Amino acid sequence: MGIRFNEVSYGYSSFAQGLYTAIKDINLEITEKNEFIALVGHTGSGKSTLAKHMNALIFPTSGTLEIFGHTITNKRNKKIKYNDIRKKVGLVFQFPEYQLFEETVEKDIMFGPMNFQITKEEAKKLAKQSLKLVGLDDSYLSRNPYNLSGGEKKRVSIAGILAMDPDILVLDEPTSGLDPAGKRILMDLFKNINETTGKTIIIITHDMDLVYQYFNRVLVMNDGHLMFDGKTEALFQKEDVTDYHLDYPNTIKVLKYLNQELNLNMNVFQKTTAEALAEIKRAVKL
Amino acid sequence: MKSIIIGQYIPGKGLFYRLDPRTKIIAVLLIMISVFLLETIEQLLIGLATAIVLLLIGKISILKVIKGLKPIMILLIFTFIFQIILNREGEAIVSQQMYFTVYTLLFLILAFIVWRLIAKLIRYRFTLFFLFAAGVFLILSYVDFGANIANPFTFNIYRAGLEMSFFVVVRLLIIITLSTVLTLTTKPTDLTQGLEKLMHPMKKIGFDSESFALIISISLRYIPTIFDEANKIMLAQASRGADFSEGKLKDKLRQVISLLVPMFIIAFMRSEELANAMESRNFVPGEKRTRINELYFSHGDIIATIFSFLILALAIVLKVI
Repeated sequence: MGIRFNEVSYGYSSFAQGLYTAIKDINLEITEKNEFIALVGHTGSGKSTLAKHMNALIFPTSGTLEIFGHTITNKRNKKIKYNDIRKKVGLVFQFPEYQLFEETVEKDIMFGPMNFQITKEEAKKLAKQSLKLVGLDDSYLSRNPYNLSGGEKKRVSIAGILAMDPDILVLDEPTSGLDPAGKRILMDLFKNINETTGKTIIIITHDMDLVYQYFNRVLVMNDGHLMFDGKTEALFQKEDVTDYHLDYPNTIKVLKYLNQELNLNMNVFQKTTAEALAEIKRAVKL
Repeated sequence: MKSIIIGQYIPGKGLFYRLDPRTKIIAVLLIMISVFLLETIEQLLIGLATAIVLLLIGKISILKVIKGLKPIMILLIFTFIFQIILNREGEAIVSQQMYFTVYTLLFLILAFIVWRLIAKLIRYRFTLFFLFAAGVFLILSYVDFGANIANPFTFNIYRAGLEMSFFVVVRLLIIITLSTVLTLTTKPTDLTQGLEKLMHPMKKIGFDSESFALIISISLRYIPTIFDEANKIMLAQASRGADFSEGKLKDKLRQVISLLVPMFIIAFMRSEELANAMESRNFVPGEKRTRINELYFSHGDIIATIFSFLILALAIVLKVI
């Protein structure tokens, strides 16, 4: 059993505006093995709040949450070691600046594992491994994390969480601010980690192309409600995603437009550019 | 953190919201000076009543102000206690023989344990603390059996001490209430603009009031932002296993660094972005700027100023007589 949300709501309180409910009555189940899930929704729909619940960084205002057998309620329970939950569910924040602080990349990656009573030598080994996993070579180990480029910083921050060897990995917009090629490399990497280690990976993203191409399960948030939970194909084929303030993937948009303008009868649900191109060729030849 | 009302602006309507910030600053200053001129407790109580009447006139919820005083409570209690213990003038009102014996120690430890246990179960922390303090007092005075560890001593409360402590606490209360009214009803930007205008004449002696006001308004503006960032950093490090409510002290010290470094880096990044944004909107330091909202005096301002001058005059008259 991985993570289960039971009627979870969360409200932010502020002095001037009173209570603002970020997520409402969420019911959700995530198993700890072999899932590859996209979490989508417009800005302010409660995606990040939902993600912060997954490793008990914040507690639900109402409802309960079960994470690897620990029951999380609205109060801090002294019997629960919250650090254990964070070891099992790793959360990578959107901006690497919030977590990088050591003078070398190696030390920074070691910070996570060392908090979980792992020896220095072991942590060093883990740092090397996880840096390789995110596609950076050993020459980065001795560099200063603040002198890296945006994409490299992002990879280092992901490596910092990977080194903790969590069972479930949650990433808050890991591809934001990267160029298209960089996005794909990173997504391939996550897919690869998911397939080789069987870790469940949950990724928050705004990029519908990536969602359609890579993920088999998708969660859609809209105004704090979980609107959709199911197969990615089902989302784009059966639902009108514009209702959720989302966009269609480019392949679907282009093929739909061509169908309309040229009176063709193509199957618009093609995941990659290559597949879309093949479909167009097939339609034009006929 | 969010319950601290001092320095907070709460949007609303009322007499004080319509006043010019300059008037409010001057009025608060004048009334504060008057409060310091007062000499007897009766006068001070009248002063407190005036402050409360001001709150009522301004339609500011007294409950909110009292709630906001909570963090100051500790300061007030300490001043009260220190005044009582250290001031040794006048006749003694309370004179109590105190003993410190082996059993006293035992009872003290017992009382401490009971206090901490109850504190875990119920929430009235202040009340419990007072009960504990009273308990310590009773133990020290009545447990007189057993071998003495220290020599018995006399605990005295003098009339002047009691009066002085009451005096100081009421004075502090008035001052805090007044300044809360000022910050509660004035936007930080208006406040700094008022300060800037008031200090403008000081330019002749080389004091640049505009830069000063800018510094203040930027710092005020960035307090919530930085606070927000600190919160995010804390969460990010907590998800790397650096949770401050768990773990040993040695680990915690290391983890503090993991908060401070990103904090500084982000503060520097923010300031650089702000500088760029200001420059790209043609901000030149020291150049004359125009304002969207110019300040102007109304009838209410004149009345408020006259009122505060009257209070000062009254206080001076009372002092001289």
